[in-house]
Amino acid sequence: MESKLSKKEVPVLKNRLEELRKQRGIRQEELAEALEVSRQTIGSLENGRYNPSILLAFKISRYFGLPIEEIFLYEE
Amino acid sequence: MKSSYKEILFVVAGLALAAAGLAMLRLMPQAWGGPLPYLCLGVGTGAFGWGGGELLKQRALKGEPELQKRIDIEANDERNVALANRAKARAYDCMLYVFGALMLSFVLMDVELTAILLLVGAYLLVVGISVYYYVRYDKEM
Repeated sequence: MESKLSKKEVPVLKNRLEELRKQRGIRQEELAEALEVSRQTIGSLENGRYNPSILLAFKISRYFGLPIEEIFLYEE
Repeated sequence: MKSSYKEILFVVAGLALAAAGLAMLRLMPQAWGGPLPYLCLGVGTGAFGWGGGELLKQRALKGEPELQKRIDIEANDERNVALANRAKARAYDCMLYVFGALMLSFVLMDVELTAILLLVGAYLLVVGISVYYYVRYDKEM
């Protein structure tokens, strides 16, 4: 069966990263430093332009103390 | 502290090579005709530039662990790595077309057969390397 997504479209997960970060009063720079990624990566994740690797997703989940599925939302 | 022997070696060897190239050009231009002096100059200055740049970078970062950490994070950041790999993959796709067009142009221009065969060999080598890594990564992943 042919996929609904065209070749160029990359599925992007929705996430609650910005919401959780703001709830805790953390700046993007601080979160980036804690996760050992660049600030641009945090910005791209929050805007939904970039999907994290499973390792980074686990790091984020541990940082916020929440399960991955409560941070990253997969919708079919 | 990070060892800088390699960089020092590059600086010294680069200077020596560039000096040798200059000497060949200035002192014995008849004996050293051809591309060798220019090759020595080019490789020598390149090695000197790289080694000198690395030494200066190490000196600038000395006593700045925070800055070093930030540079490491930027270099290993997974998004930056993904961007670089994606850009390289796109450039490789383009390169295949460019090489193909160049080969066709060479044939139409009646360029010497050796040059065309070298170009075809280089093209096939690059494609072969791509296939090799595909198979290797297929076994690893």
